[in-house]
Amino acid sequence: MSETETKTFVVTRFDPDRHAEPTTQSYEVPVRSDWKVLDALNYIKDEIDPTLSHRWSCRMAVCGSCGMNVNGQPKLTCKDSLAQYGDSVRVEPLANFPVIRDLVVELEGFLEKFKQVKPWIIRAKEKAVTEGTYSQSPEELEAFRQFSMCINCMLCYAACPVVANEPDFLGPAAIAIGHRYNIDSRDEGAHERNQVFRGEGTVFSCSYANECSEVCPKHVDPAAAINQAKFMAVLDWAQSLVLPRGGEEK
Amino acid sequence: MSLAHPDAMRSTRPEPTRTAPPFRPDYTTPRMRRYLLFDATGFLYLLVGFVVLRAIWALSSGSEAWAALLRDFQNPLYVIFHALCFVSVIFVGVRFFRLFPKAQPPRVGPLKPPPGPVIFALLYTVWIGVTIVFAAILAGVWP
Amino acid sequence: MGVVEVIRHDVVIVGGGGAGLRAAIAAVEADPKITIALVSKVYPMRSHTVSAEGGAAAVARPDDSIEMHGYDTVKGSDFLGDQDVIQYFVEEAPKELTRLEHWGCPWSRNEDGTVATRAFGGMTTKRTWFAADKVGFHMLHTLFQHSLRFERIVRYDEHFVSKLLIENGAVRGVAALDIRTGNVRVFIAPAVILTTGGAGKIFPFTTNGTIKTGDGMALAYRTGVPLKDMEFVQYHPTGLPGTGILITEAARGEGGYLLNREGERFLTTRDYGVGQKAELGPRDMISRAIIQEVEAGRGIEGPYGEYVHLDLRHVGADKINQRLPFVRELAKTYVGVDPVEQPIPIRPVVHYMMGGVDTNMDGATLLPGLFAAGETACVSLNGANRLGSNSLTECLVFGARAGQAAVKVARGAGAGNEAVLRRQGEEEQARLDALRGRRKGGERMSVLRNAMNAAMERGCGVYRDQNGMRATVQEIAQVKGRYADLGLSDASRVFNTELVQALELGNMLDVAEAVAHAALARKESRGAHSCRDYKTRDDQNFLHHSLVYFGAAGPRLDKKAATLGCWVPEERKY
Repeated sequence: MSETETKTFVVTRFDPDRHAEPTTQSYEVPVRSDWKVLDALNYIKDEIDPTLSHRWSCRMAVCGSCGMNVNGQPKLTCKDSLAQYGDSVRVEPLANFPVIRDLVVELEGFLEKFKQVKPWIIRAKEKAVTEGTYSQSPEELEAFRQFSMCINCMLCYAACPVVANEPDFLGPAAIAIGHRYNIDSRDEGAHERNQVFRGEGTVFSCSYANECSEVCPKHVDPAAAINQAKFMAVLDWAQSLVLPRGGEEK
Repeated sequence: MSLAHPDAMRSTRPEPTRTAPPFRPDYTTPRMRRYLLFDATGFLYLLVGFVVLRAIWALSSGSEAWAALLRDFQNPLYVIFHALCFVSVIFVGVRFFRLFPKAQPPRVGPLKPPPGPVIFALLYTVWIGVTIVFAAILAGVWP
Repeated sequence: MGVVEVIRHDVVIVGGGGAGLRAAIAAVEADPKITIALVSKVYPMRSHTVSAEGGAAAVARPDDSIEMHGYDTVKGSDFLGDQDVIQYFVEEAPKELTRLEHWGCPWSRNEDGTVATRAFGGMTTKRTWFAADKVGFHMLHTLFQHSLRFERIVRYDEHFVSKLLIENGAVRGVAALDIRTGNVRVFIAPAVILTTGGAGKIFPFTTNGTIKTGDGMALAYRTGVPLKDMEFVQYHPTGLPGTGILITEAARGEGGYLLNREGERFLTTRDYGVGQKAELGPRDMISRAIIQEVEAGRGIEGPYGEYVHLDLRHVGADKINQRLPFVRELAKTYVGVDPVEQPIPIRPVVHYMMGGVDTNMDGATLLPGLFAAGETACVSLNGANRLGSNSLTECLVFGARAGQAAVKVARGAGAGNEAVLRRQGEEEQARLDALRGRRKGGERMSVLRNAMNAAMERGCGVYRDQNGMRATVQEIAQVKGRYADLGLSDASRVFNTELVQALELGNMLDVAEAVAHAALARKESRGAHSCRDYKTRDDQNFLHHSLVYFGAAGPRLDKKAATLGCWVPEERKY
């Protein structure tokens, strides 16, 4: 039987119709030892203060809804154990994002960057369904598999010091997904994406903080993707000098 | 409240409701401080750049100017500066080398990168080797 | 009354999961000029499709056949699935999964570059395509990313559809609450497709995420469209105790064993009807077996009730890391168990609704202009019990078909009377404004939700009995009465999640009512509906689908014949 103790949660509150700027509110919550941070937030909403707004859904760390900053670090609150924290836990909205309400942040900026990298298979000629699937070896799959694991939780954006300072930067998840398609053996759109990578949102803004990979709950390692992408973007640029009509696929 | 750039992660569409400005990440963790230090060493290299320019000018101005430069280098401030540069190059080098294997794309054409440990061995061998060669040349020991 | 914004499109799709996204893509591909409104209460990548783990079924191997897949599905459905639907499904399945592969889905591969398949419950051969053990995640993200190519799919994220707009007896659009602003927006379109998923959250222990509240089912139900086969609720045998988090059937497909307190592999040592298939029997039979073991005193005690063990130790670390990495991570994170070293505690939890909005094969309901697909709909593909890995394919096959059918309707239809529809939208705005922050109510949301959950758990569990179901019917009616007196505290307009929860609770109560009434009426045991008072299957009197119609004085029940075909009902033994 899990024991109960009481922890204090200091939670950011913000309602644009009532507050000029965000404030905090403290809640005393009886927590069980096997709880995650999200369980405490749901307890607050159900039993103490129904006016608290937060996003969550799957509670099994795969939908990406429940990202928040806990004691200053971006976490998936459905996965983050309370046991590691002391008597007081600070819960804030994800850093680096405009705050809509309480713990809810604006995601449209991310979706715009996401779309910029054209996260879909680009081919000169598509195969007919009747011709069956593309052949792809387990090795070819393994090359990009890790980068396809991103659940769009945006903890990486909340951790990145470049995102904090350079609004145009594409950011870890967007670059990782663009790179995932670049190295997918079925894709032929690397040249187009590399132009985006060298464009306004330039991958070269990344200055090797590696914070994105440190906080990623799915071990996507976006820092690896970004730095691989830098190398390939340079190769693509060099190739396009030699073949001015816009290089061939890799 | 510490804030990030006011336009961080801002959308291009007009805001349907007023948002509060983005909070900024925590820069005080040991990991973040190491990163900030890593970035800050760039200032040292800027200064090194000026020293190199001065050295080139000294070389082209004759042996007296060069001798004067070497005398200046004996100054404790310069010694501390060069020691700091040495430490920071090692700090940056080790950090950069740790990142290097994962920054290799899985394939470029038919070429695949060697495994991580091999990359490390190559990098450190070249680094240490070049250091030894330059030290020997500057110390007059070789060739 | 405020002015509501009116937005026109050719098709409105409610819900952006596997079926909704597939329908949207099919619709824009069917006609180069139309535009689609994809209206979802969450961003599409949060849809619960994302949590599916095991795989999606389609004939792939030379030793497999369309007929075999069809027969397995019919038998799995305990002969209640409509055989014309099943025939169409098994033919289209390989094409849909191939199409998804072309769009980038990272299916796991064999050494020779072809798509790999694994064994799954109730399937006679390996036909489940998989992507490690995160197939739903990969499918959803592939669909979402592919949908971004189409400018004509216009997304309205975090919009909660709270009302269908009807004009002259046809659906002409929806009214949706923009959760961000608190304003209602009216979407006018000649065709509306409901793809909002199932309603597992009417139960306390479920694999489902918090968003699975049966919104589409309730919308259709309240507008006079019947809900079909609602009594058939699938209990997935292997969910984690407490949280209900899903541990995929693929864990058994890769060789996992189910053990009781004595370490006995009870599916092989005792007769639970699964024969040689053992752990790969159909889900309803395995869930019943586990409950029977627990009732016989051979379950293991835990802080969240009794459970049995899923043992993967003999499968080996290599294979677990290769094919079940997510299972390993879930077990470690949520029950503190490493499956390489220890068996995982599991118990049956609610997972899927075989029932749903009554549609034909095109996804059309009896209300012109209204369609449904995916878990929201009951076509019926799955009859009384669904085979694992059929539902993801179902989302693709019937999502696509509904999208195409909706486009045909949209092309032929007129413009709709904007004034009439706008007024309905304004009424909805007024209703929600009155509900928001309504302090004077005496009932609390969490109390009502828990009461509903408890009633459903007691009366509509794996095993049901007439007295229990009757009590549940009454309790749900009582909770519905109390719901009218719900008190709300949050008066804010911006991102008011309490208001959304209140609307979801209302939807859940309507769905719960349908489930309880349908369950009480089915006096036999078939598939997932096991009634202790009527232990056998009664093809004479009950080989039909149940229908529940909403009524102000209580639901009205009816029946609909099942479409039979070449597969004749037989004893369901494996």
